Amino acid sequence: MTEFDNLKTMFESGKLSRRDFMSGLAAIGAGAALTPSLLSSSAMAATPKVGGTLRIGMEGGSATDSLDPRTYADSVMIAASLACMNGLVEFDNAGNPTGELLESWEAKPGAIDWTFNVRKGVKFSNGKTLTADDILYSIAIHRGETKSPAKGILAQIKEIKKVNENQIAVTLESGNADFPSILGDYHLVVVPDGFTDWQKPIGTGGYTLESFEPGVRLVFKRRGDYWKPGRANFDMVEIRNIQDAAARTAALQSGQVDAVNRLDARTVDLLMKDSKLNVVRTKGTGNRFCFVSRVTEKPFDNNDLRLALKYGIDREQIIKSVYNGFATPGNDHTLDALNPFYNTEMPQRKYDPDKAAFHFKKSGLGNTKIELQTSEGAWATAVDCATIFQQSLKKAKINLDVKKVAADGYWDNVWLKVPFCAVYWGRRPTADQVMSQVYGGNSDWNDSNWRKPSFDAIVKEARAELDQNRRKEMYWACQEMIADDGGMICFAITDYLDGFSKKVMGTEPHARYDMNDNRIAEKGWFA
Amino acid sequence: MFRTIAIRIVLGLLTLFAVSVLIFVSTEILPGDVASAVLGQGATPETLAVFRAELGLDRPAYTRYFEWFFKAIQGDFGVAMTNKRVIIETLEPRFLNTMFLAGYAALIAVPLSVGLGIVAAINEGKAVDKVANVLSLMTISVPEFFIAYILILFLAVQYDIFPSLSTVFADMSFTERLYVAALPAATLTMLVMAHMLRMTRTSVLSIMSQPYIEMAFLKGLSRSHVILRHALPNAAAPIISVVALNLAYLIVGVVVIEVVFVYPGVGQYMVDGVSKRDLPVVQACGLIFAGAFVGLNTIADVLAILVNPRLRNPR
Repeated sequence: MTEFDNLKTMFESGKLSRRDFMSGLAAIGAGAALTPSLLSSSAMAATPKVGGTLRIGMEGGSATDSLDPRTYADSVMIAASLACMNGLVEFDNAGNPTGELLESWEAKPGAIDWTFNVRKGVKFSNGKTLTADDILYSIAIHRGETKSPAKGILAQIKEIKKVNENQIAVTLESGNADFPSILGDYHLVVVPDGFTDWQKPIGTGGYTLESFEPGVRLVFKRRGDYWKPGRANFDMVEIRNIQDAAARTAALQSGQVDAVNRLDARTVDLLMKDSKLNVVRTKGTGNRFCFVSRVTEKPFDNNDLRLALKYGIDREQIIKSVYNGFATPGNDHTLDALNPFYNTEMPQRKYDPDKAAFHFKKSGLGNTKIELQTSEGAWATAVDCATIFQQSLKKAKINLDVKKVAADGYWDNVWLKVPFCAVYWGRRPTADQVMSQVYGGNSDWNDSNWRKPSFDAIVKEARAELDQNRRKEMYWACQEMIADDGGMICFAITDYLDGFSKKVMGTEPHARYDMNDNRIAEKGWFA
Repeated sequence: MFRTIAIRIVLGLLTLFAVSVLIFVSTEILPGDVASAVLGQGATPETLAVFRAELGLDRPAYTRYFEWFFKAIQGDFGVAMTNKRVIIETLEPRFLNTMFLAGYAALIAVPLSVGLGIVAAINEGKAVDKVANVLSLMTISVPEFFIAYILILFLAVQYDIFPSLSTVFADMSFTERLYVAALPAATLTMLVMAHMLRMTRTSVLSIMSQPYIEMAFLKGLSRSHVILRHALPNAAAPIISVVALNLAYLIVGVVVIEVVFVYPGVGQYMVDGVSKRDLPVVQACGLIFAGAFVGLNTIADVLAILVNPRLRNPR
């Protein structure tokens, strides 16, 4: 039996989780291309049943929510939009782009000219058939004079036009092999051409909106004629806003809801013991928690200081005491281990007070004051993390001043402004987006202000490269450059923790978001 | 007497006007503006400028104040900046929910605490007095979310008697509402009882040392008769004002309870408005809260004037 067959047998018999299986595949060098069919044959063996009302309790909504896709920013509206609308591109559980309303695509060499095929025979909830015009309109609302957060990622489109009713052609400013993944951004959902009444959305999704009270609940009803076979199986779906983690947990335990997101890592152990519940853990795809220094400002222009700080942070301790073990150590860049281009051979940086002391001495900074600004406005436990960081640096005889600043206006007044502060980054769908948005020379959000023409050149070349192996080499090099020279200490990437009642099926972890990519309404069913 | 009452009402309106100015000014000086809060980490200077112009944030503050004030007194709070919904349409059901919960809690808490306060006063120093005091002090001494979680743990999770989610919806019947809101109402009752109970007891007892009470005793009346007929009417004014204060608290101070029980009241709406810098929403909620607070206190003052035998019959 080959190593591959061995892995395959273990996976199918349930001895290996999907994630372990994938990493096992990566370890023996099997390409990602052969996995989808294999995964689908075993993971989708159970046939979904239709019926029931799925009640979801979610954090990540507010009384100011709107169904206008240009305003989406958090989980509730992402999940709500995907219940009644569809995206252009979907991601499979391993994170690869697959067709949704754009069913397939092709790029000419250089990845500048793209043709996308619009799925045929899809109907909106008002009976209209989907055409290329609807796709063009749904993209156009995010371009030009708009406040859409997707505006930035669509700026690379030079020209987008209809070829015929079922095909569109896109020309980019420069080559981008990841362009289909870009179109998978959660803001890009499809409505009919010219649509503006966001209080009553019309989409191609598996459900129609029954009622919407922002910050309270959304109710959806099954359409019954959904174009995706075996999906959208609930008669009704109710998404309730429950901001408080304890309230979500209590509601799940007492059976008032069937599914909740963002369980509290500090108490999830207890829930795992409950025989009626199923806790789904997605390792290391959540928020990336970092302390970021601006390399253009003193004293952080000294790379020995930066290395001292990177070796001087006790990642394991932070993960243990702040996240109760439900996080993965970061390797000083914000690409996560589930990304196909993650550098698996770069050693994980570990807490090493001796190395930290060595680099600190080499930096020659002596008693220079080092101040870290942190706040609950960065993320809830940023102050705790900073305090542990401060303690762990003491062993290396480095004194860090931790200054707690106001949560209000943190992103306006502190982030991108002060030399050393706490920041978190969310997942980006592609390695290119991580490299160009977080570390790119032209990015407004390059918070370490680490701008290297040599790095930008590699990123640009990798972006247009259609040969995946070549790209991998380039992205691996990028990760090494950032980790060894950049200004960011990325010390932990959290796990997503969802809670489900045992009777909810279709709850696999997903490489993109929690709650099975926030599509549990569409992908789940009751046993 | 009517002159006193009229003056009190005019003063109330003036307070409300002053508060409206304060609300407007303080929302102006919140750090960051709605544009950067809504766009968050994804903001670029260019998208910020577009959004600010779209919201009219580029016009002077005093113009915006008067526009807002004159519309607000007609019940038009404008449209939320973030989701473009008409504010009064969102606010009205939430305000009714808040009033429902406050009324529910008050209907239990006020008779219970005033009654217990009187019982405690009648039985001053006896066991029932001490038990009432200690229990009410205990409930006021722990944070509100603690009581809430304790109730949820026992009455919702362990014994499935009441729901832990108290969200009320438009299509619920009155009895359903009473059922789902039972736990938050119980929590609130515990929170406000101590204050009212102790105030009732103390004011009644302080009247008890007056000469006319002694006279009543000398006439041969029983202790409970003296308290109910002679002491209580004269002790009513401070009791009314402390009841009003607690009713106001039930309306404006229950954000934590709303969050824990997922109750869709005005408090949560205001907090969401503040965190997204949705100024019209914050201002509308602020004004509603101020109105409730000032209104209840004015009513309390008017009632105190009406029930006070000396003010009622000026010589």
